[in-house]
Amino acid sequence: MRPALRFAMFLCLLLALDGALLFDGLSRRMAEYATLARLEVVTRGLGLTDLAVATEARYTRHPAVSDPVVPFMDHPGAIEHFPTGAFWLPPSR
Amino acid sequence: MARHNLEKQLSILDFALSSLWRHRMKSLSVLLVFAAVIFLLASFQMVTQALSDKAKQVLAHTPEITLQKMSAGRQESIPLAYGEQLAGIFGIRRVVPRIWGYYFDEVRLANYTVMGLEVNEMPEGGRLGATLAKGVMPGPADEAQGRVVVGQSIKKTMDLAGRTTFSLFRPDLSLKPFEISGEFSPDTDILTNDLIVMNVADARDLFGIPAGLVTDLCVYVANPKEIETIAKKISEALPSVRVLTRSQIQKTYQVVFGWRSGFGSICLLAALAAFVILAWDKASGLSPEERREIAILKVLGWETSDILAVRSRESVIVSGLACIVGMTAAYIHVVYFDAALFRPVLMGWSVLRPDLHLLPRLAAGDILLILAFTVIPYLAATVIPAWRSATVPADSALGG
Repeated sequence: MRPALRFAMFLCLLLALDGALLFDGLSRRMAEYATLARLEVVTRGLGLTDLAVATEARYTRHPAVSDPVVPFMDHPGAIEHFPTGAFWLPPSR
Repeated sequence: MARHNLEKQLSILDFALSSLWRHRMKSLSVLLVFAAVIFLLASFQMVTQALSDKAKQVLAHTPEITLQKMSAGRQESIPLAYGEQLAGIFGIRRVVPRIWGYYFDEVRLANYTVMGLEVNEMPEGGRLGATLAKGVMPGPADEAQGRVVVGQSIKKTMDLAGRTTFSLFRPDLSLKPFEISGEFSPDTDILTNDLIVMNVADARDLFGIPAGLVTDLCVYVANPKEIETIAKKISEALPSVRVLTRSQIQKTYQVVFGWRSGFGSICLLAALAAFVILAWDKASGLSPEERREIAILKVLGWETSDILAVRSRESVIVSGLACIVGMTAAYIHVVYFDAALFRPVLMGWSVLRPDLHLLPRLAAGDILLILAFTVIPYLAATVIPAWRSATVPADSALGG
């Protein structure tokens, strides 16, 4: 078997894996639509403004209603020290 | 003629693949490093894009206007009387006061978000019961005294072992008892994971906030098109108040995850450093073995364009495979492993951690962005060495 054919078969195998992931992703997307309605009710019912992803610091728990300067407010010369501060950008306002 | 061309292209591809196989250890190491760089970039892109998408979908329903009182650059409690001052502004449908804040549990080292509000006054407050996994939402203030609804992580962290009661400390260290009347569904974890929802009176008692003060005011308007106009009028009527509109909150989540964040910059710099090293290695010169191989090919009658074609096919194969492997691995990492490698940075020292259930939407633009950062620089970095290798005189390489 020539190398180009072997390579094409390997490529097809990889693309088949990607296709399977795509189909699984579509079924997950359908399930996500069902939970989206619940999330909308919770957001409206509680007036939520932020995602509950990082709970260690108030400026990464609620970036939408915090000031960009909050991480440095604890005392004069304070530095931002929470790990999540490296992932979350301060809101531009 | 077409058949001849196809056969020639296939032969060049065969030769390129054989060449890569002859140097398989080197090819494999380049492929793995390249795939790892793409995995890192694609994982970051997928996580931030999935989170931004989720925020865009659910935060379209946040309060239309949120009012916070600012004093000396800090947020502080806002007087309830401010709500009455807004009565003169035409177009405001209702103003709902809330008391909310953070409770640090010193035993479990966890931060809880305590939210006190009268759910019946909120839009869709009556439907909140349908979002619970178990129990009911507390009703009007008097009946619901001391009753709360908690998020999944709160329940797990408190480890109540079947009990439905727990206590939290007031600022004066006296204990305030609560009874769990319901639990939020795991499906809403991304919003409710760390929440303890109670009525305003309980939250006021827990935080020791004096009567007449609340944390913020949610303002709902009759016509959504007038949000900006009404926000402007509120700013003029209450100059010490920060006015946050729904669109500002949504905008925050479209910029809060980005390449300019510390972690994003590290991912980008790591990718750039890897490419600089790779390009340096490629451009710094040909090995004697490579020069010899090219010289033999030329002696056998290969043209410069053929050698150039072989080298470019090698680059396309390596970068294309690395791209497919790296992006597939990134998708699996984000969807099936909940972005496990990024969680230490994404959640930091948080004790309460939600199940994110991230599902990235792979748009053509995102794939092109990753290709632009990875495959295209690699191909560009290999063009010059490929040309240099193709123009090596046969006699000089063979020592003639």
